[in-house]
Amino acid sequence: MSDAGRPILEVRELSVRAGGRLILDRLSLAVRAGEVHAIMGPNGSGKSTLTGVLAGRPGLEVVGGSASYLGRDLLAMAPEERAREGLFLAFQYPVEIPGVNNIYLLKASLNALRRHRGLPELDAFEFLGLVREKLAAMQMDESLLNRGVNEGFSGGEKKRNEILQMSLLEPVLALLDETDSGLDIDALKVVAAGVNALRGPERAMVVVTHYQRLLDHVVPDRVHVLAEGRIVKSGGRELALELEARGYDWLRTGTAAA
Amino acid sequence: MSAAAPLERIAAAHAEVAPRLAGGAAWVRRRARALERLLAAGLPDRRDENWKYLDHARLASYPFESMALAATAVQIPALPPLPLAGRRLTLINGRFEPALCDAPEPGVDLTDLAALLARAPESALALLREPDEDPDDRFALLADAFAGSGALIRVQTGTAPALPLCLTHVAAGENPAAHHARLVIELGAGAQLLLVERFVGAGAAAVLGNLAAEIRLGPKASLTHLRLHEHSAAAAQIETWTVRQEAGSRYEQHLLATGGALLRSNLRLALEGEAAECRLFGLFAADAGRQVDLSTRVDHLGAATRTEQEYRGVAADRGRGSFNGRIVVHASARGADAMQASRNLLLSPLAAIDARPQLEIDTEEVRCRHGATVGSLDEHQLFYLRARGVPEAAARALLTWAFCAGLIGRLPLPALRAAAAERFAGALPDRALLGGLH
Repeated sequence: MSDAGRPILEVRELSVRAGGRLILDRLSLAVRAGEVHAIMGPNGSGKSTLTGVLAGRPGLEVVGGSASYLGRDLLAMAPEERAREGLFLAFQYPVEIPGVNNIYLLKASLNALRRHRGLPELDAFEFLGLVREKLAAMQMDESLLNRGVNEGFSGGEKKRNEILQMSLLEPVLALLDETDSGLDIDALKVVAAGVNALRGPERAMVVVTHYQRLLDHVVPDRVHVLAEGRIVKSGGRELALELEARGYDWLRTGTAAA
Repeated sequence: MSAAAPLERIAAAHAEVAPRLAGGAAWVRRRARALERLLAAGLPDRRDENWKYLDHARLASYPFESMALAATAVQIPALPPLPLAGRRLTLINGRFEPALCDAPEPGVDLTDLAALLARAPESALALLREPDEDPDDRFALLADAFAGSGALIRVQTGTAPALPLCLTHVAAGENPAAHHARLVIELGAGAQLLLVERFVGAGAAAVLGNLAAEIRLGPKASLTHLRLHEHSAAAAQIETWTVRQEAGSRYEQHLLATGGALLRSNLRLALEGEAAECRLFGLFAADAGRQVDLSTRVDHLGAATRTEQEYRGVAADRGRGSFNGRIVVHASARGADAMQASRNLLLSPLAAIDARPQLEIDTEEVRCRHGATVGSLDEHQLFYLRARGVPEAAARALLTWAFCAGLIGRLPLPALRAAAAERFAGALPDRALLGGLH
């Protein structure tokens, strides 16, 4: 496809403060269409802040640098605008919203995106057909549709629900924030299959994870190691295996020395 | 507006109006006694614990001196349709309006209080409770001083009407006025009733409605009471409800307040008989400077009595809300179970809601829980919805709706839920964005 290789995300020297602390420190990252990037790092290295600031999470203060998405200033866009332009964040901790039906939210977001893309809204029949197909792929029970958003879902159901939303919304750039955490191996495989089904030359993904095991199933093109708010090392898939074997400590001392 | 204090205006109105009310000498004495007690005790004010949040100055601006009299012909306004099919009972400015009442079902008696006062004043004396010394009963005292109109609803022992009874209170007329009404609802042993009560206004006049009502439930009787407050924008409503429940009876109330400038509701409920049960749900929207002030007291007297109470409030703009909820578990109420929750949502920095849940327990072996929260919309939920492409205003409306939906979902019939959802969404900001939700 002609889209392959076009720049999707360019983060330059981005610094972010939260709660009075500098969390991201002049971080740079470039992601092109067709690529899957993995961001690994120890707890507290800034992984969730990175996905959060890219999706527009409130409470994060950008103190330097820039981020462009499809050539636009990402940081100037409202969260909903980013979503409508095809950016999707799979939350590490999806929130429960009792009183708003899961299916209502799925339909509202899909139609918001379709309107934005100049496509007609789906009618109830078309929509339900599409959702059922995605549900089956995620091995989710249809009863979850008529529950409040994530209300009373198990940890695994919440993560599957994130990937269900993602597969329905077909984002240009998917940010997966620790989607593997809290999943047993069977659930991990289902989630990974959902992610892989969406891989394509027109799309890009940034997969944030603490452990290497998700990367056995979602094989990345690039792996970056985040420590103390900066990318301290980048490499191919083999870097993830090395981290698995050696842990993060050798890199941390490396930063301190640099 | 008169500059005179409300009590002086009340006394002046009484001198003019009382002689023209039905009921003979017995009622002349009764009303005079009520007025005398009211003048001595005064209207409740800020110093009364349960009345500290009410906007007393605003209440005093209403025309206590202008009675909407029975003699005054009032144009009967077109009423909004009922939320569901039922037998109608209509009070216009507190007066029983036969033209807007249906013949009741067998086993149900509907009586015009004015007619009863004229026909059997002595039996009416026993039927209408005399208010007590509690400051929460002062407006009932005011209603007693002007007792002359209202209705009696009786459901005979063992009767369960097939259709709901739809009671509509209409505030009509072009001029500012006050009207006082009495309501008595009695269910015999084992009787059942679904009562859908609504308050509507037909005009822009500053009308003060003062309702004193009592409910008596016989053994194993069951009353489900839906209350829709949809007054017109300038109207104020004060109401005083007392409920007495015998053994095994069940009272369920759903209060949905979306209209009017000011609503003060007192509900005092006595669970007298063993295993009597009440479920009280209330939902209000206070926006554009509206005030909703709710006060409830439940006395657990019988053994194994139960209360489940949940009130929710939403305040926007300069809206004010308050909830005073008191549950008293007396020594006689062994094995009682009481749950009380008040959850409140503030949508603007100028809105305010005060919640005071109070629990008093004088016995052991009871299960009681209570809690109150006042907060704004959850930022995490808001971000989650926006991250899914829902615009901020729509996300806020959706979360506000979700807050209310929890109580609307408790309504007993799908038709009522749909109607209430329609009405309640209509009182929320950005209502157009809620389309397709239910």
